[in-house]
Amino acid sequence: MAVAAPPTIQAKPLRERLAPLVIPAVFVLIFATVLVVAPASWPKLITGILLPGLTLAAIYFMLSAGLSLIFGLMDVLNFAHGSLFMLGGYCAWTCNQWLDPAYPGHWPLTIASGNLRFIIGLVVGALVGAAVGSLIEISLIRPLYKRPIYQVLLTLGLVFVFDALVRTIPAWGSLSRAPIKPPMLTESLSLLGRRFPSYSLFLICLSVSLAVIIAVVLRRSRIGLTIRAGVQDSAMVEAMGINVRRVFTGVFGFGSGLAALGGAVAASFIGVYPEMGLEYQLFAFIVVVIGGLGSYSGAAAGALLIGLARTFSDHLVLETGLPTAIASASTVLVMAVVLLLKPGGIFNKN
Amino acid sequence: MQRLRPLLPLVAIGGLASLPFAFAADTTRFWQGVFIQIFILAIYALSYDLLMGYTGMISFGHALFFGAGGYTAAILLRQAEPPSMLIVLAAVIIVGATLGAAVGALSLRVSGVYFSMITLALAEIFFILFKADDPKLKPITGGEIGLQGIVVPAAIDATTYRLRFYFLTLACMVGLYYAARRLINSPTGRVFVAIRENEPRATALGYNTLHFKLLATAISSTIAALAGMLMVLYEKSASFEMLSVNLTIQALLMTIIGGIGTLIGPMLGAATIRLLDHGLKGEFTQALLPAWLRPDLVFGIVYVVLVLFFPAGLMGAIRKLRGKTSRSSVERLRQAMKPKAES
Repeated sequence: MAVAAPPTIQAKPLRERLAPLVIPAVFVLIFATVLVVAPASWPKLITGILLPGLTLAAIYFMLSAGLSLIFGLMDVLNFAHGSLFMLGGYCAWTCNQWLDPAYPGHWPLTIASGNLRFIIGLVVGALVGAAVGSLIEISLIRPLYKRPIYQVLLTLGLVFVFDALVRTIPAWGSLSRAPIKPPMLTESLSLLGRRFPSYSLFLICLSVSLAVIIAVVLRRSRIGLTIRAGVQDSAMVEAMGINVRRVFTGVFGFGSGLAALGGAVAASFIGVYPEMGLEYQLFAFIVVVIGGLGSYSGAAAGALLIGLARTFSDHLVLETGLPTAIASASTVLVMAVVLLLKPGGIFNKN
Repeated sequence: MQRLRPLLPLVAIGGLASLPFAFAADTTRFWQGVFIQIFILAIYALSYDLLMGYTGMISFGHALFFGAGGYTAAILLRQAEPPSMLIVLAAVIIVGATLGAAVGALSLRVSGVYFSMITLALAEIFFILFKADDPKLKPITGGEIGLQGIVVPAAIDATTYRLRFYFLTLACMVGLYYAARRLINSPTGRVFVAIRENEPRATALGYNTLHFKLLATAISSTIAALAGMLMVLYEKSASFEMLSVNLTIQALLMTIIGGIGTLIGPMLGAATIRLLDHGLKGEFTQALLPAWLRPDLVFGIVYVVLVLFFPAGLMGAIRKLRGKTSRSSVERLRQAMKPKAES
């Protein structure tokens, strides 16, 4: 926001300016302790823990960046965000599977090249997600802006509808579907003398470039300015003569599309199943709560933290023989710790 | 009509008490089972309404308390020498109250959506730990299989004495309903409502709102734990499903369908959901509905429509019919989900 800063702001105490760094520092400390308890060699640390952690973080980022922006802009906590992620995943999986001429019972229209099918899957997934997201905002969320809690309850109902819908559509069904990777990204690369799947690298690159592009758009463009202003005070933006409702729909659609794109790339990595909507919704919540609801950079930091926490605790559990369930619970534990230290999340300005 | 109103509860209780004798001899046992489940779910919904409808705190981890009560009872009853039912009851109450107070102490540092999400996360930790098929945890939690074959004291065994268990759960439900009603009408209950309406004002009046919110959480979790215990006594097994998000969503559904902040509404909601579920999955409707229209899908759509067009739930509709223009529960909860990060 282009607001002239009053001179008192410069006199902010050092302690306050360093506050956002405290929590990452605590986590670095925890990870360091983990490595002391269960040491790992450098190549293993990078290809076995850091890069898989970044891969998870890449998925979590695409999943949750939109959720955070949507909440920041319009105070809507979208419970169906994970379901849109799932929808994107199913669309991409469908393109990869049912358009494959080698697949028995394939659709009349087929595409011979696996790579092309993959790219089409990503585009279709993102577009369908954006379209469905905008539609949800226009038809279901919009009548309820005066009753915020009912938006939560309504989107919670949508989770059920999507779950049942996926099971109902014959091409999808209740079964869990295995991931299909495009031929160009099936091999693994040699990194520091260890193997590392190229698909994970693709995921990381895609997510990082998207993160940078969105950050630049948010900071440098007029629409980005409108969105950031809307996050601070949407009534004021409306008073300036900007159609905030249209921006709401746009951001809702964009956030949904981003989540669906995340689902589409994740589908070739983790597969698809009807329960993933709720499951990934929980991950998205954890990420945005850690980062601070409504904060874009918070979502990125939260995704990074959760992805790394997961792989670090996996490593710790494997090396020390602790119950494996602790690794699955670790993401939630990290969230509990962050919230106890800083209840508004790391990047919350209050 | 007005003069007959005080008789309504008597009629309702009398009706429920004579219900088992209204069904034909071959189906009454089945229907008793359905209504036992309804009563247990009604207790669970009641506990959720105390928290959501009266204190204005929307917890997404309520299943944790239900499951905690269930698992406590199951673990105790599976001992080689099971303790007496009174000790089990005491243990469930203690576990329910302490867990509620502990979760409250952690999550009440924040409010609004943050509270919802922390409770969700805390419940999820327990869900993951109890679901895990881990050699170290499995002997206690039973892992994915859960705890099967629980030996219930013969006097309240639901298999041999179904009718007795029916009256036991009915009595529990009625007793807890009146206890909750009494709580709401007590000075403490008034403070709960004051917190829901305007927390800063309640603080300004000199109430330590944190204490009252902790109390509400502890009471609500104790009642939910009792419902969980009854469920374990009836099913004779405990599974991780009792801790899942789905069960929390069930509580939300029952409360919304019945009407937030009415106590009796969520109990009606529990009956509606259970009967609707039974009706939709029955053979008769299966034949009527097209195959692609799954019961879950119908359910989800009905729920979305309810939230959109009948936000005050069943009780709201009843009140409207009777021409009462009380402030709707929608208005009451308008502020509840506003984010208030630092409290």
